[in-house]
Amino acid sequence: MPDGTTGTGIGAAVKRVEDFRFLTGKGNYTDDINRPGQSYAYILRSPHAHAKITSIDSSAAKAAAGVLAVFTGEDMQVGSLPCGWQIHSKDGSPMLEPEHPPLAKGKVRYVGDQVAVVIADTYSQAKDAAESIVVNYEVLPAAVSMSDALTDKSLVHDDIGSNLCFDWEIGDEAAVDEAMSKAAHITKIDLVNNRLVPNAMEPRAAVGEFDAATGEYTLYTTSQNPHVIRLLMGAFVLSIPEHKLRVVAPDVGGGFGSKIYHYAEEAIVTWAAPKIGRPIKWVADRSEAFISDAHGRDQINHAELALDANGKFLALKVQTQANMGAYLSTFAPCVPTYLSATLLAGTYTTPAIHANVKAIFTNTVPVDAYRGAGRPESTYLIERIVDQAARETGIDKVEIRRRNFIPADAFPYQTPVALQYDSGDYEATLSSATKIADVAGFAARKAEAASRGKLRGMGYSTYLEACGIAPSAVVGSLGARAGLYESAEVRVHPTGSVTVFTGTHSHGQGHETTFAQLVSDRLGLPMENIEISHGDTNKVQFGMGTYGSRSLAVGGEALIRAVDKIIDKAKKIAAHVLEASADDIEFKDGNFTVAGTDRSMAFGEVALTAYVPHNFPHDELEPGLDEKAFYDPANFTYPGGCHICEVEIDPETGVTEVIKFTAVDDVGRVINPMIVEGQVHGGVAQGIGQALLEYAAYDDSGQLVTGSFMDYTMPRADNFPKFDVTTEGTLCTHNTLGVKGVGEVGAIGSPPAVINAVIDALWDRGVRDMSMPATPEKVWSALQAAE
Amino acid sequence: MTDIQYVAPSTLDEAVGAYAAAKGAARILAGGTDLLVQMRAGMVKPGLIVDIKKVAELSAIEKTPEGGFRIGAAVSGAVLEEHPTFGKVWPGVLEGLNLIGSTQVQGRASAGGNLCNGSPAADSIPGLVAAGAIATVQGPNGRRNIPVEQVPTGPGKTSLAPGEILVSFTLPPRPAHSSDAYLRMIPRTEMDIAVVGCAVSLTMDGDTCTAARVSLGAVAPTVLLVEDAAKALVLTKLDDASLDKAAAACSAACNPIDDKRGTIAYRTKVAGVLLKRTTAIAAERAKGG
Ligand SMILES: Cc1cc2nc3c(=O)[nH]c(=O)nc-3n(C[C@H](O)[C@H](O)[C@H](O)COP(=O)(O)OP(=O)(O)OC[C@H]3O[C@@H](n4cnc5c(N)ncnc54)[C@H](O)[C@@H]3O)c2cc1C
Repeated sequence: MPDGTTGTGIGAAVKRVEDFRFLTGKGNYTDDINRPGQSYAYILRSPHAHAKITSIDSSAAKAAAGVLAVFTGEDMQVGSLPCGWQIHSKDGSPMLEPEHPPLAKGKVRYVGDQVAVVIADTYSQAKDAAESIVVNYEVLPAAVSMSDALTDKSLVHDDIGSNLCFDWEIGDEAAVDEAMSKAAHITKIDLVNNRLVPNAMEPRAAVGEFDAATGEYTLYTTSQNPHVIRLLMGAFVLSIPEHKLRVVAPDVGGGFGSKIYHYAEEAIVTWAAPKIGRPIKWVADRSEAFISDAHGRDQINHAELALDANGKFLALKVQTQANMGAYLSTFAPCVPTYLSATLLAGTYTTPAIHANVKAIFTNTVPVDAYRGAGRPESTYLIERIVDQAARETGIDKVEIRRRNFIPADAFPYQTPVALQYDSGDYEATLSSATKIADVAGFAARKAEAASRGKLRGMGYSTYLEACGIAPSAVVGSLGARAGLYESAEVRVHPTGSVTVFTGTHSHGQGHETTFAQLVSDRLGLPMENIEISHGDTNKVQFGMGTYGSRSLAVGGEALIRAVDKIIDKAKKIAAHVLEASADDIEFKDGNFTVAGTDRSMAFGEVALTAYVPHNFPHDELEPGLDEKAFYDPANFTYPGGCHICEVEIDPETGVTEVIKFTAVDDVGRVINPMIVEGQVHGGVAQGIGQALLEYAAYDDSGQLVTGSFMDYTMPRADNFPKFDVTTEGTLCTHNTLGVKGVGEVGAIGSPPAVINAVIDALWDRGVRDMSMPATPEKVWSALQAAE
Repeated sequence: MTDIQYVAPSTLDEAVGAYAAAKGAARILAGGTDLLVQMRAGMVKPGLIVDIKKVAELSAIEKTPEGGFRIGAAVSGAVLEEHPTFGKVWPGVLEGLNLIGSTQVQGRASAGGNLCNGSPAADSIPGLVAAGAIATVQGPNGRRNIPVEQVPTGPGKTSLAPGEILVSFTLPPRPAHSSDAYLRMIPRTEMDIAVVGCAVSLTMDGDTCTAARVSLGAVAPTVLLVEDAAKALVLTKLDDASLDKAAAACSAACNPIDDKRGTIAYRTKVAGVLLKRTTAIAAERAKGG
């Protein structure tokens, strides 16, 4: 596909059209929405990780100034917040699925669990009144760590009888054991994938409204997928039919996964609005976000890699414990299983793989997908154990990767863990990254650093991920309770401008630009004639939203199909007007021309004719120019690449500085290189954050001790060098655009590159392991211990 | 929310009068970068706020007759930064104050607030202690002067009596070839509380250190004056052996609270490392000056 003829087509670094409104404070976020007569909700949350609620006395709160209502779990008899993915244990039994009431009933299960809602004229009134609610708790021992929880001494959910949600496996264990028995060497590793708090810039918010005249509910919410929320909340929690429920996700300030899920507060404000006869707004403050947004990662892994005498990988065996937190968040069960264990081949030809995943309930905030979702966990595991194997066998860490890469001519490539990769060239991205990172000059830089008393290290990650989520038939067979197609509608207006309705949702990704570029490219229209509309279930036909780097690969493809239908229809109209056969009409540069003649019609003329059909043959040609398409992908997409990190460590203070970070990513065709670069930057920042800074720590009683920005170290610009980000590589073979997705690669590829670099720097001083986050104190202590 | 009274008197007597009369229900407001955060979090609920920024003496930067500096307790880091000579004489004091928060916070945050807030990790205090600064305090019973290191008595606590307001800091005149420096161990940068902070003030005669004061922050319940470390430096050429001795004195002085920001062993060791690095910077500056 050539560059866009208008300079705004595919491949052009068009400036983001949405940025003007964001940068000038004109965005319209949920908290900016104020409905007439609006009241405010404050959620009283549990201060205990695990306790019985023996009584709640809210009489004083109900009598307080401005208070309209107080509701508890006993008042709110509605359905359970549903889980969207069912996993079966290896014995065939379905996962244990506890009830998840929006307001706790009888028991609280984590610090932050919703106990009551106070609704008042102002937020301060609601908050003040909440202080006067007397809740008597009988504090119970908390199952905080996964190892504690596995003993079942304290049950998070008494009624399901165990804290083990499921015990799942994938792969051929017998083949793995057989290969292990013949191995020349077995490398073993134990890893912790640290718990993270997503911390989108905009905290969650929700406004619920009920129109007594029409019986229609409206929920404005900070969601990545308003149709999914409408379905889950309407059908499972509140029993509101979809035609009476509108869900609007307006501008949303970042999600990173944490705004996929259906949260209690959405149901609470929607349910309570008709009860008090006024709209209700709830906005989380930052401290509340820390203890109520779904957390990310939190896995413990043990892995063993078998190698032959030449360093070829024979088998990989993995045991994982995955923390689910206190309840099953919407997609939690698929994260450690189908989004993680299925990726354990990575970029390598390992012929036999087996993984066992135990998902465990604990008295902590629910854990779900966070940028990368499962793939960072498997990538971290693979790239750490490969480095470890290189050191143990004495094979160079780049060479061992090369020896085991899936060759570029081996695609499509079937892995032993379900997935079939369609394309990739891992050798190519590795060698480009090696050049950009100036690996050749590293020894000299290391020596120079040593002369200043500093330790330099270099770490690699030759990663792969699966995104473009996802083929419905595949995910359905794996337990998804939804299809993961996407839809688009292209509405051409009489004067030739276009509104696109997409079922994906942009919360920072720049769809208003990228999707408009697709249309500009295909229809030859200027960007300003194209509007991208998303986020309102009353406008958009349907959609599964945005996560899993799916918007372009699935939503963009749906859009292209709808655009192609527009072109087909427009050709018929042009053929009619130009008195030719539709087969003879060519569409180029915005004009419909009868092949081989100078008879032609501009796109705008065709559009106008479509809506002024004075002499249409109505049995053959309908008026109007408005088409939609639903697209279900044939496979996941498989971005991959190479990240190289160079660090310098101050051994006296343990401070690690990232000196250089090189990313060469194969994300398929690039629509807007500037947006792609931005996505990789953001992902790498989060990946380095996980590797060096971020950690959601609980104390033994189940209190989140890193519950604010004072304690939870978010990465900032001055923690990073300027990243070297480039893209190159192969096209996806099963979508017409050839796109793979770029939203998550940065967060997936980078953490092991950083930690491998840290270990490389410390290796000569005797340090053999490092866990995330590699804080100064941890690095320093490791150096002391090694001395 | 309960009603809050706000006064902004223009004289110190009025301020002291209003503050003392409220008997503990009042809070002094300087930059408010601690106070407002604490109020919003519900940690303090004052009935009266006494804003001291309108009192001339509290917002002034003056030369003393002896040739030192007197800085009003409410002077913000940004204002001090713009003073034509202060930063040349006391670069370490200034860099401690302007490590606080971000540019926006520095436009408000004062050394007086930093001291009276009583955090053991207060970034501007080690510099003032190393400088030998004297705090002037005024209350219902009049004025008194005390060394800065005697103001904090524990986390969140000070030796100020009820009704007393911190008025100013007086820094002594500087002999030639004197300078200072402040470094903190930064697991990240400005928005965080120091894990260890170290200030060193030196006077050099050629390569020989003739006077020194050393102060450590965040390693004990209060900011510390570490006299043993200073002794180890004085009348030496700041050679490795003397620096090791001073570093050891710093490590020995540590009495940190073990918390999630850094373990005791780590803080203790880093205190020594910072001493060496801070001394090197201060000596370099002193030789140049
Ligand atoms: C984003 C952010 C980042 C920060 N980063 C840092 C940091 O890196 N390092 C650091 O040390 N601090 C930091 N702080 C804390 C704070 O900014 C400092 O402690 C600052 O010096 C306080 O000064 P202030 O003038 O704002 O004090 P205020 O908030 O006005 O007062 C602080 C306390 O002292 C009392 N008080 C103030 N002046 C007097 C007086 N003259 N007499 C008697 N009592 C008085 C007040 O009543 C109050 O209790 C940060 C704060 C924020 C919001």
